[in-house]
Amino acid sequence: MQRVKNVDYDEDELYDDDEEYGADPEESYSQEDRDNFAALIPVVRAELEEAGSRASNKEIQNALWNYYWDVGKSDAEASAAAADGEKQEKPKSKFDQAAERSARDIADDFEDAASMLLSMAWFRDVPWILPPGRQDYLVPATPISRPRLLGGSSKLAKLAEERRKKAAAASAEGSVANGALSSLDRLTKPKDFKENEAPSAVAEPRKYPVRKKREPTPPPAEESPPPPPAEPEQEKPDLRASPTAFARTLSASPNQDILPAATTLSELLGSGQSEDPFQGPSPDDTLISHLYNTGPTKPKQTANGLTKKTEALKLDSAPPQPKLRSKGLDVPKLWAEEKAKRKPSAAFVVVGHVDHGKSTLMGRLLLDVGAVSQRDIDKYQRQASELGKASFALAWVMDTSTEERERGVTFDFAQHHFSTPKADFTILDAPGHRDFVPNMIGGASMADMAVLVVDANQLDSGMKGQTREHILLAKAVGLKKVVVAVNKLDAARPAWSQQLFESVQIDIRKLLAESGFADEDIKFVPCSGLSGANVVNQPKASSPAAWVPKAHFTLLQTLERSIPPTKPTTQETIKQPLRMQIIDVFRGSVTNPLSVAGRISSGNVQNGDVVTTQPSGEKAAIKGLEVSDEPREFAVAGQICTLHLSEIEAQHLRSGDVLCSSQHPVRVARGFTALIELLDSLLPQPVDVHLGRLHAPGTISQLIETVDGRGEQLKRRPRLLKAGQRARVRISFEEGVPLAVGEKIVVRSAGVTAAYGTVE
Amino acid sequence: MRLIKQNIERKTGEGSAVLLPEEPEDMWHAYNLIRSNDLLRASAIRKVINESGSGSRSNERVHTTLTIRVTKLDFDPQASQLHVSGRVAEENKHVKLGSYHTLDLELQRNFTLEKSEGWDSVALDTLKEAVNQEAKAQLWAVIMKEGLANICLVTDHQTILRQKIEYNLPRKRAGSTDHEKQMQKFFQTTFDSLLRQLDLANPKPLLIASPAYTATQFQSFIKAQAASGANKQLNNLLPKITVAQSASGHLHSLNEVLSSPAVTAKLSDTKFARETQLVDNFFTLIRKEDNRAWYGPRESEKAVEQGAVGKGGGVLLISNGLFRSQEIKVRNRWVKLVDEVKEQGGEVRVLSSMHESGRRLESLGGVAVICTWPIEDLDEGEVAEEEMHEDGSVNENGDWDENGDGHGVEGRVDHEEDIDFL
Repeated sequence: MQRVKNVDYDEDELYDDDEEYGADPEESYSQEDRDNFAALIPVVRAELEEAGSRASNKEIQNALWNYYWDVGKSDAEASAAAADGEKQEKPKSKFDQAAERSARDIADDFEDAASMLLSMAWFRDVPWILPPGRQDYLVPATPISRPRLLGGSSKLAKLAEERRKKAAAASAEGSVANGALSSLDRLTKPKDFKENEAPSAVAEPRKYPVRKKREPTPPPAEESPPPPPAEPEQEKPDLRASPTAFARTLSASPNQDILPAATTLSELLGSGQSEDPFQGPSPDDTLISHLYNTGPTKPKQTANGLTKKTEALKLDSAPPQPKLRSKGLDVPKLWAEEKAKRKPSAAFVVVGHVDHGKSTLMGRLLLDVGAVSQRDIDKYQRQASELGKASFALAWVMDTSTEERERGVTFDFAQHHFSTPKADFTILDAPGHRDFVPNMIGGASMADMAVLVVDANQLDSGMKGQTREHILLAKAVGLKKVVVAVNKLDAARPAWSQQLFESVQIDIRKLLAESGFADEDIKFVPCSGLSGANVVNQPKASSPAAWVPKAHFTLLQTLERSIPPTKPTTQETIKQPLRMQIIDVFRGSVTNPLSVAGRISSGNVQNGDVVTTQPSGEKAAIKGLEVSDEPREFAVAGQICTLHLSEIEAQHLRSGDVLCSSQHPVRVARGFTALIELLDSLLPQPVDVHLGRLHAPGTISQLIETVDGRGEQLKRRPRLLKAGQRARVRISFEEGVPLAVGEKIVVRSAGVTAAYGTVE
Repeated sequence: MRLIKQNIERKTGEGSAVLLPEEPEDMWHAYNLIRSNDLLRASAIRKVINESGSGSRSNERVHTTLTIRVTKLDFDPQASQLHVSGRVAEENKHVKLGSYHTLDLELQRNFTLEKSEGWDSVALDTLKEAVNQEAKAQLWAVIMKEGLANICLVTDHQTILRQKIEYNLPRKRAGSTDHEKQMQKFFQTTFDSLLRQLDLANPKPLLIASPAYTATQFQSFIKAQAASGANKQLNNLLPKITVAQSASGHLHSLNEVLSSPAVTAKLSDTKFARETQLVDNFFTLIRKEDNRAWYGPRESEKAVEQGAVGKGGGVLLISNGLFRSQEIKVRNRWVKLVDEVKEQGGEVRVLSSMHESGRRLESLGGVAVICTWPIEDLDEGEVAEEEMHEDGSVNENGDWDENGDGHGVEGRVDHEEDIDFL
């Protein structure tokens, strides 16, 4: 009961702010008002009589007041009130009594619905977007348009549902019902009065000019039929105090006009009720303005403002969560403007056979450019010696997980940023072990170029193993530039043998050329990751590697020179719809409980954008954005970024999913045709399909045809596809996979890369 | 399954058999035995509405024995339940002739089956296999990779995916132990789900397979759980665990696992290992472009016609999915093929479509042959022929699966899906 009182009290306070409208007709009429009444009542009366209904002076007065001297509207209202009054004035036949009771029931229904709404609002939006006062308003309109109570499991909800239905059925007699409501409200006035005693006592000394609440005069005798039997009250707990006199005046009288207005409002609020509640006009203001927006009053402007806002909301297809506002940056333009300031940047994937020293070389690179401190390396050195793997210390920069460190093998690709005065780099250190080829594909799909690490002393193992496979995969994901780091030359016999380097160079060049890399895109660097010679610093002139600086750049210099000039960050790709494959879903920090990382393949993204994830189809808002571990306002195609998401559950996100623009979501397909290059023979059979980070079980369901280099058909429905052929096949999935035409796929079977190609 | 009584005539194949299903897998046999148009007699519960003379109605559930002429079968591999719909063929006091009823076959309850077309050779073989009481091999397999685990039960005739666990693992990153923590949680979830499936008192062999070290890590996780002593029975399971390498964590990798020497040595002569090897052999042969290996219905039929699948190495691999065709004509076509190969002295292997090996075969059209001599150009002239068939038998995806029924019901989506963007 205490709570109810408080609510009522609040209501009081809110309304007190609007004395202008809160003035009670009977007490507060100024002289001017009275004059107006005197002038207009006869007019209205005449019109009413013409329409064949009679109304008391008081009713007309009320109506006029409520409609702010609008004669036409007042007519309707007054006639409704009169009809209501007439009913009550008549001697009560049994029939009438029944009718009255039913009318009362309906009124109760509305009241019940209101209490429902109250509890609904209670749970729905904790910041009080719908203050209690407003619910009184929405009562007449909302029982139909409002969504049902969530869950709806409680008995009360069921009861309310029934009532609502009943009320809807009776809505034909809407005006009668509302009339009944108003009269009923009047009936309960004495009780109401008692309930509000305390607050009004407090309010008195505040010198509010008028306290409509505290209307001391009992209602006119003719309008108070014998007090109604109290059964409805007994039936349900009254969650809410009975309406105040003011609320009654507002809610009950101008019924016809509130209906549409209240409905639009509720729709508006229902679709996007997340604006800062204190930003616009206060809820009461907007409501009241809505109520009066038909009359020629000042609040009309506010109402129009609101309508405009509604339209605006509708126009941009009502983003579900405008809590985060996109700044609406013109990203392509900004990007173009910043171009001059920017250093060239590139992400490179480090590939090669297992144990050829990829991670160690990268650890060395990071140490020597200063991205990792010597202190950290010393720490790793100590820890690694404890495990008896002292030589792995540098690799630990990349291999951060315990399991990787224990086994001395990279499992998943690691990501690291560093900057030189000339360029920004992102390292993607891929695993070399054959079991982790799927992870390597994921890493390679994010890169702009490749660094192939080859152990000069163990060329053969790699040629049969992952050196060859990785080269093919790098080609398959569309990489063009390769820097070949001929590693471990210090361990060669003799150390830094130039002859060895040359022979390795010939073999690898041949292999790369076979795989389709152009000669000018291949660069060779002799180096040693463990000693650090020719990685960042040139070897000393006195060392056996003195020949190196004469003919070769260091690894870092070579990298800086190999940055692909035509990185796909052109204006066109930026303007395309957003596509980003999710590489990782993780908990960024306490403030960013859900973050995803990946490389934007097309389009751009900025803080506050609402994006769609496929295949789940869920929408998410972007709360924050990081590129190279630094917060940014936006990111564009080609950048590897971390997005902090909000308003989505982690279960809707998996690595391999695609983030895309909500307007142009990527399609989810259960099957597709692909043009593939065969590396191994294939039949219609189950295969693993890799699409960047996505790794899906699929089936080659049909071999459509083999084609020649120009795409001409060679044989229809081949029985078997052999290595070296080009073919068109149909691949199907058990579950939908987000796909776009032209995407690169890799088909693997039994742990071997069998084919690669593009989606058609 | 137990054969209670049979009066099948040798020559004509007419007659009926009374069978008693004893274990869930028997439902699978029943599913392969019962064809549409057969007469099936089994106990049923039926709601009977009685209308009295005055017009008042009363409902009653009666236990009765019904004989139906089968129109439709529905097999649920997860629950091993078989629902057979049909029209009542023998009237009794509760049920009128011709009214519809769906029989749910139950374990430990007899049913009588009478074949409309008589028992053909394939049906008899299936029956023999079904009533074979030899110890049946069963094994649990967990095919996993980081963030994905498929828990399945491999029996002689079926591979049943019991649970698939997908877990979102964050990638490693410097200064965060999230990856390890989530990995432990992933193992815990997988382990918990596995325990719910296993009977620890009498554990079956457990095979854990994954690329790289995930399987080993999971095995040590189970060991750690057993060592913690919370569950004493877990120690029974430990010696039964086999760890193997697979190329991926997806279910179809079970193929390679079952055919890998390390595993076959342990599983020795189980039916599923044999089937896997057969299909593997076939794939190796065809990869070699040995013209002795052919696949697809038409090619296989032609090869058999030419007598190439006979004595001395001729093998016909056929998926039992083909025999489940609802059309008698289609079924007879395959039965004829099988009989012919047997006549020629070739070997016939009926592969279960519920195994991964059978699925591989089904992606080849459900039937394949290894001939005794190389045949050239079996597929020649086929293009023209296909053109003719294009309207009917070859469906629009060009899949050879001419009787595409009987697949989708096994809990796996048909492959012959056109590109449909959802």
